[in-house]
Amino acid sequence: MSFPNSFPFETRTAPGHVYSRPLRVGTGRASAHHGEILQGVFLDEAGRLHRALLTLPFPCAESIATFWPEDGRDIRTRPPGRSKAAKAAALTFQELGYSQVSGCLTIETSIPVGYGYGSSTADVVAAIRAAAAATGVELRRSLICRLAVEAETASDSIAFGERVVLFAHREGRVLEYFPGDYPPLYVVGFVSRDDPPVDTLAFSPAQYDSSEIESFRVLRGLARRAIVDEDASLLGHVATASARINQRHLPKKHFEALLRICEENDGCGVQVAHSGNLMGVLLDGKERDAPSRAKRAATAAREAGFTDILRFAVNADAMPVWG
Amino acid sequence: MNVQPQLSFLLDYETPRMIELGANFYAAQFHLMKLLPARYMLDRAEESGALQPGGHITETSSGTFAMALAMLAAVRGYGFTIVSATSLMDASFKERLKQLGASVILVEDESRTGNQSGRLAELHRVLESKPGAFWPKQYDNPDNPAAYSRLAEMIVEKLGRIDYLVGCVGSGGSLSGTTRYLRSLFPEMRAIAVDTNNSVLFGHAAGPRLLRGLGNSILPWNLDHTLIDEVHWVGALQAFGATRELYRRRAMYVGPTSGAAALVGAWYARTHPQETVVAIMPDKGYRYQSTVYSDEWLRSQAGWPAATLTEPTELSEIVPAGEGDWTYMRWARRPL
Repeated sequence: MSFPNSFPFETRTAPGHVYSRPLRVGTGRASAHHGEILQGVFLDEAGRLHRALLTLPFPCAESIATFWPEDGRDIRTRPPGRSKAAKAAALTFQELGYSQVSGCLTIETSIPVGYGYGSSTADVVAAIRAAAAATGVELRRSLICRLAVEAETASDSIAFGERVVLFAHREGRVLEYFPGDYPPLYVVGFVSRDDPPVDTLAFSPAQYDSSEIESFRVLRGLARRAIVDEDASLLGHVATASARINQRHLPKKHFEALLRICEENDGCGVQVAHSGNLMGVLLDGKERDAPSRAKRAATAAREAGFTDILRFAVNADAMPVWG
Repeated sequence: MNVQPQLSFLLDYETPRMIELGANFYAAQFHLMKLLPARYMLDRAEESGALQPGGHITETSSGTFAMALAMLAAVRGYGFTIVSATSLMDASFKERLKQLGASVILVEDESRTGNQSGRLAELHRVLESKPGAFWPKQYDNPDNPAAYSRLAEMIVEKLGRIDYLVGCVGSGGSLSGTTRYLRSLFPEMRAIAVDTNNSVLFGHAAGPRLLRGLGNSILPWNLDHTLIDEVHWVGALQAFGATRELYRRRAMYVGPTSGAAALVGAWYARTHPQETVVAIMPDKGYRYQSTVYSDEWLRSQAGWPAATLTEPTELSEIVPAGEGDWTYMRWARRPL
């Protein structure tokens, strides 16, 4: 296989002459998420309601996709069978004006599959980025989201990385960019074996009543303040309130135990996956003893019978010493 | 699930300004707060079909809710009949409503107690003569408190966490609604009700009230007593004094209910310096130029000027006090 020098020196003979650069090897990455801080329905500027969410990123797990151009009939994947990622790459090539692309899409991921960490979306977004890189372009995040929704009906906002956005996950568009970053957070995440598994994409969306819809407006207002101030405590209140509303739609069987673990370890709130089983206790990363309290919360979760317990940090500026 | 597109100039009327009155004391000051529930109730009625295009609205109200409905009826093309009593509505206010296209019916009220039964009888005559007319029923309609998500949103967006919400009670919509929304985020937040003497809301017997715009002679369904931590009965003269003080010291030209809320809110802010207090101020002062903002009118009121109080007297049982008094009780979220 040859790797032509495709550094974009101007080689067009006439301005506006359209040509396709040969494909090269392209890589893209995308990280996992851990459910949401907030999920519900929200108004856009025209007064229309949209389902949307505020994702809790899980930055230490990610998917890395690499596209290798090769002769053949279509895009195969390694490991085989990652059809959504292959479709996403194909859609991206199509979008960029390349037809009949063939090659091998390699996916290496540290995101556990089937736990609700968004491994499938991360693969799809990484594949879109790999395909774009193979053509030598970078994509706008809004375009990445649209392609991701096209490839798998719903997406999340992981294409936005650290940017905090209220994301209409069924449309692939941003309702609101929050002005700031997530505050430093430590998260202790887990699941309960007593909650039945949820197929995120087959899951029928919650039907919110009008008082819930009005409540989401208030939660959104506090989320804005929490992001502007980088205030973990306020963000924790948003997450807890959103999780409580979600108890009426996709209840977590041991929600009271989750709240108790949070309270006993001075957490600033709890969060859940609103279309999955993940639960998390949030701790304010600006507080010095947060890592040790995270450890105690993890122990308490184990003792309460929760499984798949993990700890991670968001925007904590340094890897915590978990102890 | 779609929401009516909002007319931006009316949106400004229903959007409060957040005013910092002290290090831990803020006012949510409205131009015309009642526009918020009135607009929300009409939106819901339009959605459900209870209010048809070109239809008719009727209500009994004497104050800002009447004005809000008249404004909305004017811009949305509805007919509107407002029923009040001769003792409750002055000539210039009536004129403002009529210029907005409203029909104003004033029932006689010789005893000056509001003639609630006469007003309701008249309202039912209007409903019978206009089949399909929509009656918003601000005292009982759950869409009244539900409308206050917008106020709660603005408060948390501006201030984050709040510890005390102080609000006047008339229909109970603003304080009950805003408290419910804020408590979904801050369950420990305390709700402070501001009422006045001779109002039945927190257990006084009904009687003539000098301070208008808060209190009630009947008990509205929309007041949820189990949300209320403490209740204050502010005498009219104390409210008037506080209103004039706000204008004199802060240049805030607001109605007397806002003065009462400021008086109570400032006391919580002073006595709880580490906690954030928000007082809801429902309207501007223009309607009160010939009363609260008239020195002559104030001098004609028995007991004026009253000694300025800086703290309320705590009551252990519910008893009415004078118009120069200010009392309060720990209500403790119990039913009436």
